[in-house]
Parts: sequence; structure tokens; C-alpha cells
Amino acid sequence: MLAANDGQQVMPMALEARGVSISFGAVRALEEVTLAVQPGEIYCLLGANGAGKTTLINLFLGFLQPSAGEVRVDGRSVRQDPIGSKRCVGYIPEQVMLYGVLSGLENLRYFAELATGERQSRERLLGLLGEVGLDASVAARRVSTYSKGMRQKVGIAIALAKRARALLLDEPTSGLDPSAASEFSALLEKTRAEGVAILTTTHDLFHARRSGTRIGIMKRGRLVAERRTAELGEHDLEALYLEQMSS
Amino acid sequence: MNAALLIARRDLVELARGGRLYWMGGVLLLLLAASLAVGFTRQRQSHAERTQAQALDYAGWLAQPERHPHDAAHQGMHVFKPEAPLAIVDPGLGPYLGSTLWLRAHRQTEVKFRPAQDATGLARFGSLSAAWVLQLLGPLVVIVLGFAAISSEREQGTLRQTLSHGVTLRQVLWGKALALGSMLGMLLLPAGVVAGAAVLAFAEAGARADAALRLLGLGVAYALYLAAFIFMVLAVSAWARSSRLSLVCLLGLWIALVLVLPRLLADASRAWVPSESRREFERGLGAALGDATERAWKQAFGVGKPFGSGVSLSQWGLGLRVHDRAGYAVLDRHFDALWESYAQQQALQRWAGVLSPTIAVRALSMGLSGTDFDEHRAFSSAAEAQRRRMQDILSEDLIEHADGRGERHFSYRAAPELWARVPPFEYRPADAGAVLGRAWPSFGLLCAAGLLWITLAGAVAARRGLG
Repeated sequence: MLAANDGQQVMPMALEARGVSISFGAVRALEEVTLAVQPGEIYCLLGANGAGKTTLINLFLGFLQPSAGEVRVDGRSVRQDPIGSKRCVGYIPEQVMLYGVLSGLENLRYFAELATGERQSRERLLGLLGEVGLDASVAARRVSTYSKGMRQKVGIAIALAKRARALLLDEPTSGLDPSAASEFSALLEKTRAEGVAILTTTHDLFHARRSGTRIGIMKRGRLVAERRTAELGEHDLEALYLEQMSS
Repeated sequence: MNAALLIARRDLVELARGGRLYWMGGVLLLLLAASLAVGFTRQRQSHAERTQAQALDYAGWLAQPERHPHDAAHQGMHVFKPEAPLAIVDPGLGPYLGSTLWLRAHRQTEVKFRPAQDATGLARFGSLSAAWVLQLLGPLVVIVLGFAAISSEREQGTLRQTLSHGVTLRQVLWGKALALGSMLGMLLLPAGVVAGAAVLAFAEAGARADAALRLLGLGVAYALYLAAFIFMVLAVSAWARSSRLSLVCLLGLWIALVLVLPRLLADASRAWVPSESRREFERGLGAALGDATERAWKQAFGVGKPFGSGVSLSQWGLGLRVHDRAGYAVLDRHFDALWESYAQQQALQRWAGVLSPTIAVRALSMGLSGTDFDEHRAFSSAAEAQRRRMQDILSEDLIEHADGRGERHFSYRAAPELWARVPPFEYRPADAGAVLGRAWPSFGLLCAAGLLWITLAGAVAARRGLG
């Protein structure tokens, strides 16, 4: 599937799942899920625990292979080009896992060089950390002293360093205090504005409506509803979510 | 930069900032330094003792007064096994097989003066040597440094983070292996340089190139040995669900492969290819010698009883030659059979090296150090050749000068010039090229063990993935 960009250029979808199904034993984790995220879009995926949100993220990361359907990242098939497709995405789980004995800067350098295969200058890395709100003194500290929010900022900086075309976020604001969550949302908005496609799973309806450009609701492995946030009124999302969950 | 190199560099930084490396590496270096110091002192001392004893013994031989040559043959001479320069690193079987042979009339003797005979019960755990430290503690250091290499990354989620950047599990494995290998290299290289300097300082000028080649072989052998353990550790760490389980499994493997299996296989090989006990051997050899010499006397003189009244004293020297030469073939047959049984036991154990790299490296290390059974056998054979040379020279002299005296045979006294006709004993061990040529099966086994664990580590990591 291709997406129009400002009506001028036709670009591939940053993230695309077409008729994707996967089972774990007898459990059907995803069933014919079709979803696409354009560059510069924040797609919030809602759903109860076990709905299949994280499974979908794992499919985009190539950690799982679908039994049916196709998953593409920036136009590349995840199955056929697993390395190339991973190089296009940034992944930020609920807990961004970094090496505790290394500093934020060292973690960023390591993952950025791992992802790009290129040497990264200290100035560029410090600049990226500055962009996400971590100054040089914080960057020099061991990550074991970082809060969850600070680790997530390093995660975003890693995605920026590798010039990811898409970000996959697995419940990123879970456990963040309101101020950190708000700061994180602002950072996502800034990243989106630079043309990065963002797919995020969340339980936070408020965050989804405020940050997302589109919202999908998953239930028992199916994508049961999809709306543009611009179309939703203040309480519409809550009503829609409850309706889908109770049906 | 290559992903494996980046992973290795990051792992090295992590290890360098952790405490494990310092205490484990410190203990290893301390033990290696102590063992090399002990090895150097022990070898210098025993080399000096043996060189001096060899010179004194030969001087004593030459200083014999005029006497009947067969009395001199019964006094005999002693030969001392020269200390191999690499015995500093691996004394091998030296303490158990002894260093001195008494060359005397009629009988090939066994080596005497085994340090292990004087050792306390604690020596059963092995004497402190650099080889012992590397063979037993080297794998333990690899385990302590690497048991959590992959399991902890999986537990902490950093493996998932790493793989999300397009890095493959194969690259992770090689990066980890590179980090562990570099760390061991950094720890062992200084010890290797010290050992090399000590060995080369100790070796005689003409033997330095040989010693250097053996050292190089030894370096390659231990590098292959530790590499096999590195991939074993990574395979288990990739397989285990937790770092704790990985550590427990690896310690179990260490006990099995390094401590139990070599001992078990040594016993099994003795059961599979039994060798005669000392008592059985002596009894069998004595009986065979008796038969052979009686046959020879009967054939030569028509009498069955050697040195009996049936043969005149004018043929006593001739009888001595007949007697001794009849025994040579018997001695060769019996000693060859005994040594062959030992060789077969060792060959069996060597092939078991594919199960336990410790067995393979032990054989290789002793072989390259010139302290294995092959070397002992070559020394014993050279000593026996010297004994026969001595015996033949003395018997010929009796035939030439004493037999003509008839009943006054025993009044003959040989002049000291005769003693000088027996040359001093000189033993040259096999050169490094020949030893390396013999060692290829053990090198092959170590490579096979390494490849086996590399394949297993790759397969386990791919199968287990992030799970």
C-alpha cells in the first residue's frame, strides 16, 4: 500500500500489516489484522491485555512470523528482509532496557553504531540527547541511576540516531508520572512532525486521544474499530472503547 | 564497525567495570605466576642435580680401578633423564615415571626416583603447574566470566533491544565469544610472555628454536581448549532460562568434563586394555628370560644350565655374550608389550578427548612439553641401548682377553682404558617437528570439540531466540 505525501509524492506506508494471522498452539493471537501507519502519523492501538497488541509489535520487529498475511516496514517485507526492515524501526518497550554500567551517552553510541554500522560523533550524540531533554551531565551518568522516563528518552534518542522511519512503542507511558508522560507525549509529537510514523500500544485513552492521529481498538486478536482522533469528540473514544469491549 | 566487534567492545567495558574480572583474573594470574615460579625453580634445581649427577656417575665409571669387566658391568652406570625446558609449564608424567635408570648387567631396569613416591596424599589432586592451572581453572574462569553472557541479556531485555536493531543472534554469539576470548588473552598473555621467557632462558642455545616452536604449539593448544569452553559456556548461557540455571549447569559440566571424565576414562581404558601388574610382568619376564637363555646355552654349548660346570671358564666370556644376546629379544618383546598396552590405553583416552577437551589438551600439553609417556619410552629405549652397548663392549673384552686364560679367567683385570670405550650417555629428545607431527590427532580433537560447541551454541541460540 502506498501513501500520498502532501499530494506530491507517493511514498510507501511506514508500517503495514495485511491480513496478518498468528497462533500460539491452539490460541489464535491475531486474526486477519490489516493496519497501516503513514509517515508523520501516530497510531494508538488500544485493547485489553492479551488482545494481540504486543504480538503485532513483535511481528513488525520480525521476532515472530505470521502464519498468514504479510508485514512490511517502509515497503520492505519483514520476512524477506528481516535485517533491513529492523534497521528502519525504533523500538521502545514499556521498560527501555539499557546497559546499567554504561552511561546514557555510551548506551546511545553503542545502539546507534549497532543500528547504523557507522561511527557516531560525540557532538551528534550529545545533540540528540539534548533534543530529547537529557543534558551532558545526565548523559555522562550511568544508566543504572536513570528513572524510567529518562531511559525512554534515551530510547527515543536511539531511534533518532538510527534515523528510524517508524517507531514501535509498547505501552511507553505505563508507570510514568503525569509530568513525565506529558513530556514524553511532546517528544513523540516532535518526532512525528519530522515525518516518523509511530505505532504505540496503550491502555491510556486520554493519552491516545491527545497524542494519536488515529486510533485502533483490538479485541481477541482482531482489529475491531479504527477512527481518526480528529473525528472523535471528548467522550467518544471512551464510549467507543467500552462498547467494543462489552460487545 | 562490525556488529560482533561492537558487542565485544561493549562486553569488555562491562566486564572491566564489574568486579568478577578482577578477583577471578587476579586469582588466575596469581596462581599462574606462582606455578611458573615453582616450575622454574624446580626445573632449574633438578636440571642442575641431574647434569651434575650424570657427570659424577660417568666420572666414577671412568675412575674404576683395574678390575674384571663383568664386575664393572654389575656396578653399571646411571643415566638421568634430562629435564625438558617446557617442563616449567607442564611437568607431565615426570613426577610419576621418575628420572633415573640404573644400567647394569643382564637386566633392563625400570626408572627410579619418582617424586610422586615421596609426595603426600595431597599430591593426588595434582601438583601446581601452569598446565594444571590452565587445564582446571582456565575453564572455571571462562564459566565465571561468561555464564550470564546471553542469559542475563535475555533476562534484562537488552538482547531484545539489541536484536531490534537488525543484529543477528550469530553476531551476538561471536561478539560474546570475542569479548571472552580477548579478556582471557589479556589475562593470559602476560603469563605466556613470562613462561616463554623462562623456557627460552632455560633452554640450551641450540634448543631454543625447538623450545619456541613447542611453546607456539602449546599456545595454540590452550587457545583451542579455552575456545571450546567459551562456546560451551555460550551454548549453555543461550539455552538456560536464567543465569542461575546457566551457572549451575556449567559448574556441573565443569565437574564432569574436567574432573570426573578424565579420571573415569583413565580407569575405563585400563579395564579395556589391561596391562600387567609389576609382579606379573617380573614373573613373566623372568620365566621368558630363563627359557631363552637356557635354549641359547643349549644351542651354543650343548648344556641347559647357564654358567654351570658343563662349560669351561675359557668360554665364560663367550657364554656371557650368548646369555645377554639371548635376553635382548625377550626384553624387547616384554617391554614393548607392556608399553604398547600403556600406549593403547593412552590412545583410547586421547580419542575420548572429543567428549572432554581436557583429556585432549592434557595429552597435547604433555606431548609438546616433552613430558609424556612417548618421551619416557624414547628415553628408556635410549638408556637400554646404552646398557647393551656397555654390556657388549665388556663381554667382547672378556672374550678377547680373559677367555684365553682358561681356568684363570677371573684373574683378568681390565685397564681403565676399557671403561673409556663406553661412551657417555647422551639423549636427544625428539624434535618439535616430530612431536607436532605426532600431535595432530589431539589438535584435531580440540578443533572438533570447538566446532561441536560452536554449532551447538548457534543451534541453541537460534532455537531459543528471545524466549
